Amino acid sequence: MESVKMEIRQSEFKPEVTVWYIEGDLDSNSIETLNVHFSRILEGNRFHAIAEMSKVSNISSAAVGELMGCRQVLSDKGGDLVFAGLSLDCKAKLTHLGANKIFKFHSDLRTAVNAYAWEVQQKPEKVWLSFPPELNFVPPVRQLVSRITRQKGYGQRDSFRIETIVDEVCNNAVEHGAPDNLRDIELFLKIDRKKIEIEVVNLSDPKKINSLKAISKSILGTNEKKLERGRGLSLIKMLSNDLSIDFSGKGTTVHVTKLREE
Amino acid sequence: MKKETPYTFKVKIPSDVDYVAPLRKFIAEILQIQHFNPKFAFRSEVIVDEICHNAVLYGSQTMDATVDLICSIFSDRVEFQINDQGGTKDNVLRLKNVIENTDEQVEKEMEHFKSSKGLGLEIVRMLSAEMNLKIAKDNVTSIHIVRKREDN
Repeated sequence: MESVKMEIRQSEFKPEVTVWYIEGDLDSNSIETLNVHFSRILEGNRFHAIAEMSKVSNISSAAVGELMGCRQVLSDKGGDLVFAGLSLDCKAKLTHLGANKIFKFHSDLRTAVNAYAWEVQQKPEKVWLSFPPELNFVPPVRQLVSRITRQKGYGQRDSFRIETIVDEVCNNAVEHGAPDNLRDIELFLKIDRKKIEIEVVNLSDPKKINSLKAISKSILGTNEKKLERGRGLSLIKMLSNDLSIDFSGKGTTVHVTKLREE
Repeated sequence: MKKETPYTFKVKIPSDVDYVAPLRKFIAEILQIQHFNPKFAFRSEVIVDEICHNAVLYGSQTMDATVDLICSIFSDRVEFQINDQGGTKDNVLRLKNVIENTDEQVEKEMEHFKSSKGLGLEIVRMLSAEMNLKIAKDNVTSIHIVRKREDN
């Protein structure tokens, strides 16, 4: 029978995270080794731990129980224990035991570290896209953003509202952009657990710039005279938590912040 | 003869598997908008998925690592360029061997780049008219792929 091997290391990129490398068969004979290594994690005072299990061939229910206890101790200290790199067999067994309701499973160590940065540190992630200024490219762009928000855990309603915002801003950028497709439209996303910031930059049509300024003043409340046009911008304002438009420089920049609600 | 200006889409994503599926769907959708048939679009999706997964799994492991995709759509072909900041020396060397050699000796190396859920670089090569690799001095790894419209 394969003996179990364990090693405790700091994460290379997140030193505050402990990586618990486990290799071999996690059977009932491995409990003692498991406890010895867990004590080292506690001694290190780094309570966010990732058990790297890509080389674990089998995991017994006794070991699962022990790991649940370890997780509880870490959780009480404000940390967590998550699993990375589980084989399909081990994952199936853990799911059968109901451990998937207690532990988070990540496909690999890298994903687990990223998840820590996202969930615990609330580190924003950035996406940049540039696309030709044509209306038929707007639907795939808005769906890309919506898929990203859903993938990052945002609810369907939030994702749909974000999709609506992106659609409106990008359509405006195309419709009121400079003729002859002089410059591609740029979309910047900054997403974290609590909010998404969307920024769309385009080159505006010089003939339309004054009317665009008037509409934005009207909608953003800096002009008392309400204009009939600009329903798209009004919709964005209603759906978002912050909207600003900047006409300085060579392009027009629309910046929208939308807080996560669900 | 007038040189054709392609439609160019550029995307930069964090080096994280979460972003790969939305990105590959995006590529499939823009190809269909440009009247490439669904089969061509889906096969391009397979290519983007595989190369981006490789970039995430074997490229730079730093927290701020990114993957860049440039998709240029011409009337008769599509070109993809996928850049990442490069992984360990071993991984970059393996990738180089796989892409630059076509003989049976590289089969073993191919296994390394065959993700558990992916289809491997072998199928990327099969679906592409051209596949080239460039490794810059700063270790930035760049894979360039050409797919011809008639190839499907």
